[in-house]
Amino acid sequence: MMNGAPVDTHAPGHDVASSISRNGFTITTQKLPILKAGPIDEMHKKLGITPPEMIFGDNFARIEHAASGWNIDFNAFDALDRVDKTGDSMLKVSYSKEWQQNRQKQFEDIKEVVKPFDWSYSTDYKGSTAGPPFRPSEKPIPLALLKRPDPILFFDDVILYEDELADNGIAMLSCKIRVMPARLLLLTRFFMRLDDVVFRIRDTRVFVEFATGEVIREYTAREEKYEVVRKTLAGTKEDVLAIMRDPNRLAQYIPVVEQSLENAVLQ
Amino acid sequence: MSIGGSDLDKAISQLRACRPIPENQVRELCYKARELLIEEGNVVGVDAPVTICGDIHGQFHDLMELFRVGGDVPDTNYLFMGDFVDRGFYSLESFLLLLCLKVRHPDRITLIRGNHESRQITTVYGFYDECLRKYGSANVWRYCCEVFDYLALGALVTGAATSLPPTSAPLADNANPDSFPSDDSEIEVETLNAQGEIMYRYARNSDSQSSNPTSNPASSSPIAPTPSRTGAAGTGATSSANGSKSNDTGAVLCVHGGLSPLIDTIDKIRLLDRKQEVPHEGAMCDLLWSDPDEIDGWGLSPRGAGFLFGADIVKCFNHRNDLSLIARAHQLVMEGFKEMFDSTIVTVWSAPNYCYRCGNVAAILELGEDGSNAGFVRRSNGERGGGGGGWILGSNVDGNGNRRLSSVLGEGALGQRARDGPGRRYRVFEAAPQDSRGMPAKKPVADYFL
Ligand SMILES: [Mn+2]
Repeated sequence: MMNGAPVDTHAPGHDVASSISRNGFTITTQKLPILKAGPIDEMHKKLGITPPEMIFGDNFARIEHAASGWNIDFNAFDALDRVDKTGDSMLKVSYSKEWQQNRQKQFEDIKEVVKPFDWSYSTDYKGSTAGPPFRPSEKPIPLALLKRPDPILFFDDVILYEDELADNGIAMLSCKIRVMPARLLLLTRFFMRLDDVVFRIRDTRVFVEFATGEVIREYTAREEKYEVVRKTLAGTKEDVLAIMRDPNRLAQYIPVVEQSLENAVLQ
Repeated sequence: MSIGGSDLDKAISQLRACRPIPENQVRELCYKARELLIEEGNVVGVDAPVTICGDIHGQFHDLMELFRVGGDVPDTNYLFMGDFVDRGFYSLESFLLLLCLKVRHPDRITLIRGNHESRQITTVYGFYDECLRKYGSANVWRYCCEVFDYLALGALVTGAATSLPPTSAPLADNANPDSFPSDDSEIEVETLNAQGEIMYRYARNSDSQSSNPTSNPASSSPIAPTPSRTGAAGTGATSSANGSKSNDTGAVLCVHGGLSPLIDTIDKIRLLDRKQEVPHEGAMCDLLWSDPDEIDGWGLSPRGAGFLFGADIVKCFNHRNDLSLIARAHQLVMEGFKEMFDSTIVTVWSAPNYCYRCGNVAAILELGEDGSNAGFVRRSNGERGGGGGGWILGSNVDGNGNRRLSSVLGEGALGQRARDGPGRRYRVFEAAPQDSRGMPAKKPVADYFL
């Protein structure tokens, strides 16, 4: 195999690490181009599954609290390491049945499914943590405080991976973070649409109140069949196709299937 | 109003400025294009020299960059392997420009169909919405889809030279001339950056592991190993391939996706009825959708539809059809191109910074004309020095231990004597500068997400 191997390419919109510190918390994000062939091969070996088509393996979003040794880090490798590697929870594209039936008549000898795994890259990743652990909690993230128009001191939007599911939809994991004077909110979202099959939205929110050192982590998984969502949307006046591409607007049409709340207080 | 002659030239210059042409002109253009395409076989015959391009995906400004790097139509003969539309913001302008160029210079540009040239896919991935937004109705989308149905499924390039003519192109800043083969060896592969500077170069049958410019005892060149930097562009056709086997290369098959278990000969592609929407299964579907993979034989994609094919399948197909190489697109490769299976198949990807966020580079593949060895014209563009000098010679062995060069081609897995691959010149380029797009660099906009 041979290919061109660029170095030092600094693509537009791709910056190196940027960072901000507030009350002993340091927030860092890094955005670089997708991995090259070499690092992808390496990741492939370590993960044991084919990495997604677009793998931003050098990107991350991290919150650290030096005094307590606590940190939480969101990166592609750890997220992908939680993808099912056995093929037990494997989805099929919408026209799979039709395709298989027609095919089998002619090629009964081609049976082997190559390296089965959850190719939708569905992950329940809630971040990689170190230091004082989270404990289950009942206390929700204080939305009212987050709705206030406090100045945003730091903002970033970091993609970790994306796959077009061979033109059968999209799977994407990305992090958004905004830091205000007194608190921050991080949202890591896995969004997956398998055309004519299913929608999944899995959100991990991390909220930090700087003055008290309180950290709340909330995980919310939503899932619904494609057809059900499409029918619901058809009853509205919305642009169905546009909403189906936009997890922000879509979330309200997809029921919650799993939720958890945890917190930690750092000193 | 009919589109032809000067109207066509006007449409071309309007589209080059990234401005859509009126709906009635699109209708006329699509009608003309269909008339042309209907005459083409499922597999279009193309003579080298030709420049082979992969996915464009509506990245109009990067298509302009491609023409800057590869030369303009009709000076350069182009073959685009599909996926003109979807994903990017300017599918309409990109596809219509290519179509205008096709109608204007039918023998200088070949367009084959990608899996995105389909009604179903374009309604989901952007082109349909773009047409609706730009024209207020789906008419233009419908005209374009009718053209899609007439696009050829593949192309067969013949007459390509086995080795590249020596060029007088300058070296890239960080090229390593010590790793270059000696001047009188046959050049099999060369990679150039967007400024036309040589990044690296391989000789045929060289052991690229440790290519040593002084290892060839037959070297009696009066010129020192230092590559010549002088001489006019494109005139380097002095030492051709020494006659030994320069006419030995097989043809090059170009398809968007790959092979199909239903197709063992190119003639079987010729027999398909292609004038339809891309079906969900069957040979036509496979040609546009399948992918090579590191497996033995044929495999099923874990997605439940679609085939994967291994090195043995490619080598066997190439041998049977007297091919030296399959060129395909369809899969994003970060380095712009990726040769696999002892250089019997290559993926070419021509959408840099894909989806405006991947940061990947793009590539085009030039095949020279056999005999004259002078099919290449160096397109220099001195103004843009400095920008992209960051290229290095990658590792010579990939993660799977594959040797990079076709020096192992002779003893393929099937014990067949394989054809020498054509001389391959890759031009690698980055995304067009942001300011050429007429839109500001995309910085994330702070928002009060919850
Ligand atoms: Mn494709």
